[in-house]
Amino acid sequence: MTARIPTVCPYCAVGCGFYITRNGMEYMQDHPVNEGALCPKGNAALDVLNHVDRLRYPMMRIGDDWIRVSWSEALDRVAEEMQRALREKGPGALAFLGSAKCTNEENYIFQKIARLMGTNSIDNSARRCHSPTIIALRRMLGTPAMTNPVSDLALSDCIFIIGSNLAENHPVVARWILRAKDRGAAVIVADPRVTPTAWLADLHLQLNPGTDIALINGMINVILNEGLENSSFIKERTSGFEGLDLSDYTPERVSSITGLRAGDIVRAARLYAKAGASSIVYCMGITQHSCGTENVTACANLALVCGHVGRPGAGILPLRGQNNVQGACDMGALADFYPGWRSVDDSRAIDELRRLWNARALPLGRGLTADMMPEADLRFLYVMGEDIVNSHPAVSRRRERLKRGFMVVQDIFMTDTARIADLVLPAAAWAEKEGTFTSTERRVQWVSRAREAPGEARPDLWILSEVAARLGFDLSPEPEEVLAEINQAVPAYRGISRSNAGARGGIIWPCPHPDHPGTPVLHTERFSTPDGRARISPVHHPALERTSPQHPLILITGRVVLHYNAGSMSMRSEGLVKREPEIRIDVHPEDAARFGVADGDAVMIETRWGRARARAKLTPRQKRGTLFMPFHFPETNLVASEIIDEKSMMPELKVAACRIWRAD
Amino acid sequence: MKEILVRPERCVGCRSCEIACAVEHSQSRDLLKALSEMPQRRLYVEHVPEYSLAVPMLCRHCEDAPCVAVCPTGALTQDALTGVVRHNRDICIGCWTCASVCTYGVIGRDRRARVAIKCDRCPDREVPACVSACPTRALIYGEVEEVSRARRAAPALKFAQGVAASSR
Repeated sequence: MTARIPTVCPYCAVGCGFYITRNGMEYMQDHPVNEGALCPKGNAALDVLNHVDRLRYPMMRIGDDWIRVSWSEALDRVAEEMQRALREKGPGALAFLGSAKCTNEENYIFQKIARLMGTNSIDNSARRCHSPTIIALRRMLGTPAMTNPVSDLALSDCIFIIGSNLAENHPVVARWILRAKDRGAAVIVADPRVTPTAWLADLHLQLNPGTDIALINGMINVILNEGLENSSFIKERTSGFEGLDLSDYTPERVSSITGLRAGDIVRAARLYAKAGASSIVYCMGITQHSCGTENVTACANLALVCGHVGRPGAGILPLRGQNNVQGACDMGALADFYPGWRSVDDSRAIDELRRLWNARALPLGRGLTADMMPEADLRFLYVMGEDIVNSHPAVSRRRERLKRGFMVVQDIFMTDTARIADLVLPAAAWAEKEGTFTSTERRVQWVSRAREAPGEARPDLWILSEVAARLGFDLSPEPEEVLAEINQAVPAYRGISRSNAGARGGIIWPCPHPDHPGTPVLHTERFSTPDGRARISPVHHPALERTSPQHPLILITGRVVLHYNAGSMSMRSEGLVKREPEIRIDVHPEDAARFGVADGDAVMIETRWGRARARAKLTPRQKRGTLFMPFHFPETNLVASEIIDEKSMMPELKVAACRIWRAD
Repeated sequence: MKEILVRPERCVGCRSCEIACAVEHSQSRDLLKALSEMPQRRLYVEHVPEYSLAVPMLCRHCEDAPCVAVCPTGALTQDALTGVVRHNRDICIGCWTCASVCTYGVIGRDRRARVAIKCDRCPDREVPACVSACPTRALIYGEVEEVSRARRAAPALKFAQGVAASSR
């Protein structure tokens, strides 16, 4: 019998468990989320460990060459350069990028270093997945997170999926939706494309891109007109309902905006409102818009009007993208929040941390978000486990501007971001270190060390602790000790320990004391807003980026099942790359005929942001008038939009007007 | 007798089963060591876009299997008890008569040696790897009677819902 060590998948945020054995992996049948099953990326997860491309030694740039340096030399240099930048230009010249792939303990210490150095310019990749969720759900419900666990979907009578292709991006979630369907639940999918998620739908609403608010307001209008709202819930548990006048969102008008049949809008509204327990599942199709915050607000309005929150099977479920993106945000690796969701503008809340950290003063006010970093006069940039060059279009186009000063990248691979750095530090991967990860459903799970890190690669926490020591801060390299400090800093994590997070399936926050069983369903009695009530707040359909004669089509971006985000992991997995080797652009056959493109052609695509090359794939799954490019390949960054949602600083990555032609 | 059965209406085409199959049939059972080995899948997820469906296609281990009947060397044999059709690569001559007669097109070719490659229903596992890996339980491993009974439940429920609605 070989020793098998339980672990949590390093890819998406579903938090699936499996075992790592001496020779490979084994399925974990009794894990509460995945019951043993894994998606293709999960099955290929071990590919990233011991990969030939793993970074093995600290490396310093000399001109265009890299030389191997010792850890002590590398760490001294990080501290020196950070202090030099601080001395010469002040804290505004420093910036830090945390990682939604690193543990809670690592992100906590990373943002603590940034703030002790005097800056709130600390961000993580949540900026590009759910920053609108953070802003909208925190204001409306009090807690910016999924209200119910994934397995709760099996208890829903109606599941409304909008802007999520979970069948490809979170395949294990489909397992629970199918269980609900087995019980007779209705599934509604709103998506411009016929995705594999739409295959699960009883009603597929193939709406025009970017018309989500119109659809949802139209549904609420039907619900109010037909008296299907939950009046007692509205009265007892919400405020702001009286301001909700959506009477001009008639089915006919919404039909003309969304391109849907009026009858389907009415049917969706009735299915959602009349069901005993309904859930809304959404993802980046909602958030990655210039009206992302309003889109999330509209979703929450719908749920609140019908009282479909705070019960088993009834909730709002934003599906998060990375294995620890929820945790990185809970830990305050954000330019606008300190640990425990303390706003950077709330001096009283921050003062609690100042005392905990024995700091003289802590910075107030929002720091630089990732997209702002190329435009800022930075002298020192520290990137931990993020390929910002391939994941932010704005950075991708202006990568040379990131490099005005000294740049450190700490990663497991030589990413395109690492390539432009001055110093590269080799980090241990998830299964080579210890600590906690928080999944999309707030499930905190302790991961143990199952493998040795290659070469001289070290856990991120060890690296940070060594850097901190050189800066004069005494920060522990021991995950358990850091978790104990997190207990003090983040109220929802107060009772979380290695023992309850290390049990099978971990524990779901809030967990206020060590004996607490965790809180799978939020808002059962009261909302976590100051007065305990949820805020209903009307939002309206915005002016959209319209197509023009020059750019007559709409480009949609998203993901495919076999790849993951910027691809630093999945592109190194032979089993995955073999099945999805190159960038393709999905084109409806009628559009293809109109623009003289045939299946398999090399094509050029142009938006007002740039041009890129791809291979055309003709498919009737694509909505007429739209194109689709997966964002795992650098080409997509060349054409993605840079319009920003000012409330959340989310770029409008989902839609851009474009044209296509055959590249000859 | 347990069989691998397919519920294509639940398949989302993620190809997890293909990867799990390849890992299981790699020498090392470990993709990280199997990089040079290039493990091969023995089942195939076929996308049928015009019907918005994906169908995992895998050996049905047919009774009186045509591939076994035509195999000239006895490389393909059928277990009398379990019905599992096994392939012995050592005596396979790569004549492809089996592939020519297979109704389901699930006999592949080994990338290196000129021999056939097919589902062996994971002899070392209690549950075949593809079934364990499937996120949506589109692949199930069970007795046909059990599976059919479960299959009847869904239309029966719809039927009952219809009756209830019409009597309301």
